[in-house]
Amino acid sequence: MQQDYVYPSIYFSYFFFALMAAGALYFFLKTWRSGYLGENSEEPKYRMLEDDAPGGQQK
Amino acid sequence: MPEEISNTVKSGPAGIAGSWPEHEDTTAKWFLISSIAYFFIVGIIAVTIAAKFVWPSLLGTVQYLTYGRLRPLHVNGMLFGWLLAADMGLTYYLVPRLCGVKLWSEKLGVATAALWNVIVLGAVVCLLMGWNQGLEYAELPLPLDVLVVVAWIMFGANIFMTIASRKYDQMYVSIWYIMGTILWTAFVYLTGNFAVLFATGTNQANLNWMYVHNAVGLIFTPVGLALAYYFIPKASNTPLYSHKLSMIGFWSLAFVYVWTGAHHMLHGPISQWLQTIAIAFSLMLLIPVWAVVYNFFATMKGQWHQLKDNVPLKFLMSGVVFYLLTCFQGPMHSLRSVNAIVSKTDWIPGHAHMAVLGAFSFFAIAGTYFMIPRVFRTRLFSESLGNWSFWFLMLGGLGFFTTLWLGGFWQGWQWNNPAIPFIDTVIALKPVWIVRFFSGILMFLGIVSFAYNIMATIIGAKDNPETAAA
Repeated sequence: MQQDYVYPSIYFSYFFFALMAAGALYFFLKTWRSGYLGENSEEPKYRMLEDDAPGGQQK
Repeated sequence: MPEEISNTVKSGPAGIAGSWPEHEDTTAKWFLISSIAYFFIVGIIAVTIAAKFVWPSLLGTVQYLTYGRLRPLHVNGMLFGWLLAADMGLTYYLVPRLCGVKLWSEKLGVATAALWNVIVLGAVVCLLMGWNQGLEYAELPLPLDVLVVVAWIMFGANIFMTIASRKYDQMYVSIWYIMGTILWTAFVYLTGNFAVLFATGTNQANLNWMYVHNAVGLIFTPVGLALAYYFIPKASNTPLYSHKLSMIGFWSLAFVYVWTGAHHMLHGPISQWLQTIAIAFSLMLLIPVWAVVYNFFATMKGQWHQLKDNVPLKFLMSGVVFYLLTCFQGPMHSLRSVNAIVSKTDWIPGHAHMAVLGAFSFFAIAGTYFMIPRVFRTRLFSESLGNWSFWFLMLGGLGFFTTLWLGGFWQGWQWNNPAIPFIDTVIALKPVWIVRFFSGILMFLGIVSFAYNIMATIIGAKDNPETAAA
């Protein structure tokens, strides 16, 4: 008898999606607590401009 | 050039000048070089299938050169051979720099690049032979799908280990987008290439469309935006307008995008509630899109004059405009009334090409123009040729997109009139496909001039005394 995998495969996808959604929620809250949306959240944008030697030529 | 206009940079709170690790960039170079080669080769395929629309008997009945074999080769070659490989190469370049450390493992990176080339070359053979799973964007046979998963784990491990060893606590927004890309790709690719094989009928179609839409929305969009967030400030030597806003854009994209795939099945045999959810979330996409685009435009305030002679910035800001347009189109044609006209017509490839070529390939080309002279410690072979590559791609792209949108609407109205025989709608579109072909020629000239410029830069770097001494 042929096995029907339609629903198990859809449940697998929904489980995977729920896992991703839960992970996104967890990291979003972690981001909030780490200050990414607070007063000092602008520091990385200045730092990235100086992340390499001028012209990219390494010393 | 960026280094000549450094007076536009405001003093930041975390100056780290003079403390750069020595990056090897071997992996980034290999990914970029191979991706550009595939861009050129698959560009030939693209022009060939565009020609087949105008001259259907072109290349006769040789099975390997039929439309059915070449079209999946074009799609997979551009997505995985060119764009994703270029995105991965640029990721290997920018993540170590943003983290202030060297790449965790160059050896693992080079092995990943080698495996990626095996996958792409395997795909060429398999698709030309007709070994095809028959699912949109998931045409690769199962053994190659498994290799893609292995390569992605190698890529993800290398990038996550580099991020884990970073010098700074707070990460720049590009790193968030790249981490999202790695995790979302795992989810999207496994669903679209493995789970879908166990479903049938409407359920299979629904899973497939979730994969197709999220291949663009959760793979190419986040990695493309990671590149834009990195290269727009770097190429203009101007700080991003708001890092906080960029984080809001990131999280709103993370929560909204995944639900939209079912809008490909509007008026189809799926539940009305699922269609309505897809429409609602498609409209909500305007939130992250505007957060991103406003941030880029505000960054460029007072800096627009740089577009005149800054080739990477031309590609970047044109890409931003195309991103805005494509993300306005998407929600609009998710509305039932518009969808009833444009669905399955030429409008869709016009829309898809504006996203994948006009926005994300433009970001990748800009990143390549920015990165290659720096990692090879030389100057770009020709700024003039860089400008030519931009205008060829821009004019060809505009011709292609607008023609297919107009043609798509025309086609949709004809299809909605049962009095018109289907074959008449095919014949009516021939003028559209002629313009599409000549636009394709222009785009291919853009690819050729871009590829030649980059390769000449790399070859010319050998003659640079500074490079030779390094």
